[in-house]
Amino acid sequence: MLVSFPRLLLFLFSWTWGILAATPSHEEIVGDFFAKNGAHGGSTSNHTNNWAVLVCSSRYWFNYRHMANALGMYRTVKRLGIPDSNIILMLADDAACNARNRFPGSVYANPGRGLDLYGDNIEVDYRGYEVTVENFLRVLTGRMEPSVPRSKRLLTDAHSNIFVYMTGHGGNEFLKFQDNEEISAFDIADAFEQMYQKKRYNEIFFMIDTCQANTMFSKFYSPNILATGSAKIDQNSYSYDNDADLGVSVIDRYTHYVLEFMEGINKTSHESVADLFATYDFAKIHSEPGVRSDLFKRPLADVRITDFLGGVSQVEVGAGTPAVAAGADDTAWAEDPAAPVETPHIAAESRWQGTENTTTETGPAAAKSHQWRGLRAWGGLLLLGALVGWVGWRK
Amino acid sequence: MPHPDGTILRDPSKLFFQSEYIRRLIIASYWVVIIAGIPLWWHITSIERLSLPTARVHAQAGNQLRFPVQIHLEDASLSSPLQQLMDDRIRRSPKAWEGLDVKVTTQNDAADSYTVRATEGVPLVSERTLAYPLRSGTLPMLADTLAALLIPPTDPHRVAPYSPRYRLAFTLLNEDAAAGSAISGWDISGAISHHLSPIFNSLSVLHNFTIESQVQFHAPLAFSPVSLDQGYGITPEDLTVFVNSAEWSLSSSVSNDPVLHFVVFIPSAARRPLHILDSNGLPSPSSAFLLPQWGGIVIYNPPADVQTTAPFPAPALTAVFTTFAAHLLALLGVPALPPSVSTSTSASDVLHTVPLTAWQLDALLRARALENARNAQGTLESIVSLVAQIENMPVGRDVRGDVQGALGALEEMYNTASLNRTLSHSATAQTLASRAFFSPGMLALLYFPAEHKYAVYTPLFASALVPLVATAVKEIKAWRKQRRGEVE
Repeated sequence: MLVSFPRLLLFLFSWTWGILAATPSHEEIVGDFFAKNGAHGGSTSNHTNNWAVLVCSSRYWFNYRHMANALGMYRTVKRLGIPDSNIILMLADDAACNARNRFPGSVYANPGRGLDLYGDNIEVDYRGYEVTVENFLRVLTGRMEPSVPRSKRLLTDAHSNIFVYMTGHGGNEFLKFQDNEEISAFDIADAFEQMYQKKRYNEIFFMIDTCQANTMFSKFYSPNILATGSAKIDQNSYSYDNDADLGVSVIDRYTHYVLEFMEGINKTSHESVADLFATYDFAKIHSEPGVRSDLFKRPLADVRITDFLGGVSQVEVGAGTPAVAAGADDTAWAEDPAAPVETPHIAAESRWQGTENTTTETGPAAAKSHQWRGLRAWGGLLLLGALVGWVGWRK
Repeated sequence: MPHPDGTILRDPSKLFFQSEYIRRLIIASYWVVIIAGIPLWWHITSIERLSLPTARVHAQAGNQLRFPVQIHLEDASLSSPLQQLMDDRIRRSPKAWEGLDVKVTTQNDAADSYTVRATEGVPLVSERTLAYPLRSGTLPMLADTLAALLIPPTDPHRVAPYSPRYRLAFTLLNEDAAAGSAISGWDISGAISHHLSPIFNSLSVLHNFTIESQVQFHAPLAFSPVSLDQGYGITPEDLTVFVNSAEWSLSSSVSNDPVLHFVVFIPSAARRPLHILDSNGLPSPSSAFLLPQWGGIVIYNPPADVQTTAPFPAPALTAVFTTFAAHLLALLGVPALPPSVSTSTSASDVLHTVPLTAWQLDALLRARALENARNAQGTLESIVSLVAQIENMPVGRDVRGDVQGALGALEEMYNTASLNRTLSHSATAQTLASRAFFSPGMLALLYFPAEHKYAVYTPLFASALVPLVATAVKEIKAWRKQRRGEVE
């Protein structure tokens, strides 16, 4: 936080320059990708439905950023086409309606508050004290009481791709839930094994943002799981930035940069998870994200982001009669490799980062008010010190 | 410091509870409580793990469902060459013919045998009969046709997983009724009873259906259709993201049964006609598409001369529901007849309202029974292996009961000759095996490393046990010393 004003300007300048410089090279990458995969344009995934389990396991107002992490992912998977009925969202606290929230009913993930993540169309499936280790494991394994409603169940099958995102406070091989219990890496590994045995998934993409996150997927042993985490063992995962009006950090670094990448993805994008992993940068994230792909069978460059964070992508046109349907296989689903994915990309990117761009414009003014606030605080402190000194001297 | 007045210093050994006998009794009573409590503590901290019939599960997993298939052919001179041809095909692709024992006979002795009759016209299929031009030259073609009838190719990605109950959600979506000339309603019950009831009746052995329907007047798309010379088009890429699940609510969530969606989409008056484009960017002749395991969608463009909001015109509704019927059959895995044969009533537009032939229904029953049996066996095996693998996993009475019930249903399945009974037993086995797997009581206790256990138990027990042990040792020492003194 204690960044001096010229350094802030320098940082913003270099950042803007980085974006400008990066855009054409990004286009090149996409172009290369299409050229490479033009012959067999379709995804190599073998799934027919997508599910997402998004967990924020921390409570309390000062963990606002964890709520924002999970909600940012929620917004992204929903935008990319996973219906609410296929998203299990677990939020251990309600930051939006916290009494300390100066912007009731809203959760923002950017300093400057450009984009309300809470919005008007949100379905939190597990809220507050319902977010427990037990409930999380019940969601994964499907071991529910018969009375549990459909919206709280993970009704996956052997053709489902599942995106599991977790965030909270963690340590070596554990993640804290609600400040009173922990889930260990062994528990998640066993839960995934039970899902595998019951054929509850086709593939899983596990992502976790917490301190020492990479230890959480070290115990997995079931096939077809791709895992990534924000920090290696003995490393912390850091928050991204504070919002002066909210008074708390609004998002974690790792999730922020993942979401920034995701903003460049739309429902029909072809970017692979390898492209996502290539954007990991210690200089930005301040920790070393890890990837575990030894359990995963497909090459990462063929695994599209939308295989996990998107809706299903197979359509049979003209399945009008059973006879036609039998013939019109997946061949009916052909795609245009030259389809422009860049236009919405830029628009979306500017939406996510728009707030930071406006910070560039209002930078001097903001810094001036910041200085004034600092001056006022120091003045107050001096006055207090003088009063105490005076009282002490009088006695 | 002097004692305050009034207090008398007493000799500790004169206190009543310091008498040797009582002191030892008190210490002994602590030990009695601890030792008596150990079984209780053991009982309440151990997990109930009833033994499962592991051997039976493994024996059952090796079993293979067999379906005897009898083909009755009157001409004895053709039956043995046909048998040979069928055997060849089975040998070539044993996976596809899994579980089928095909026998060509000249006597029609079994009630559920298939009959091949001679005819000079086109091949015709009815109930369990196939009329075919019978000559020695046409036998290979006949064998192919029989193969297509007995083991029709299915796409496991399209067909919804078996469930004894399905919910069908019919939705009429107006993209934007405010733009004018919307569809205000539809005769949904009439359409269902006319077009879909025959299917429900034919499939009543397999599934129960619950139906819900709704009409919506505002259902925006998440993308903009491309503008064409005449009207608008949806590219194949946009088609994959056609369902705007974020803003359309297509089904209620009243039950946990799987849902199949059927959607009629009415484009906004500002964007008509809306076509589906093929990969070359040309309008496709079809206005319907199927999302595997999810449901079917039909795009209906009201005629341009209609300017008012009106209910769905009846002829158009018939066309829509004919498509829905086809979608439903495809999603439920009902096999199509091979293109080389036709049904006796061969008007193509009423094809779907004609009840299914026994050939199709039998093939479906066999496929579903195999699927269920395989799932049940797999689930039972995974329960047994998980219970062995995860030591903290409790196994209660309900789990054991369901596992035994599933095994019983599987055994009964092998002992029944009727296809309908086979399917119902297989469905029972699968349901019970799944229920056992998903039993809420089976949630394993959380994993705790050994050092956590020490960390929890040491402060709890060490502080209580150390003084107890120390006093016990002291008392025993004193007692032995005392005895020695007495002896001497």
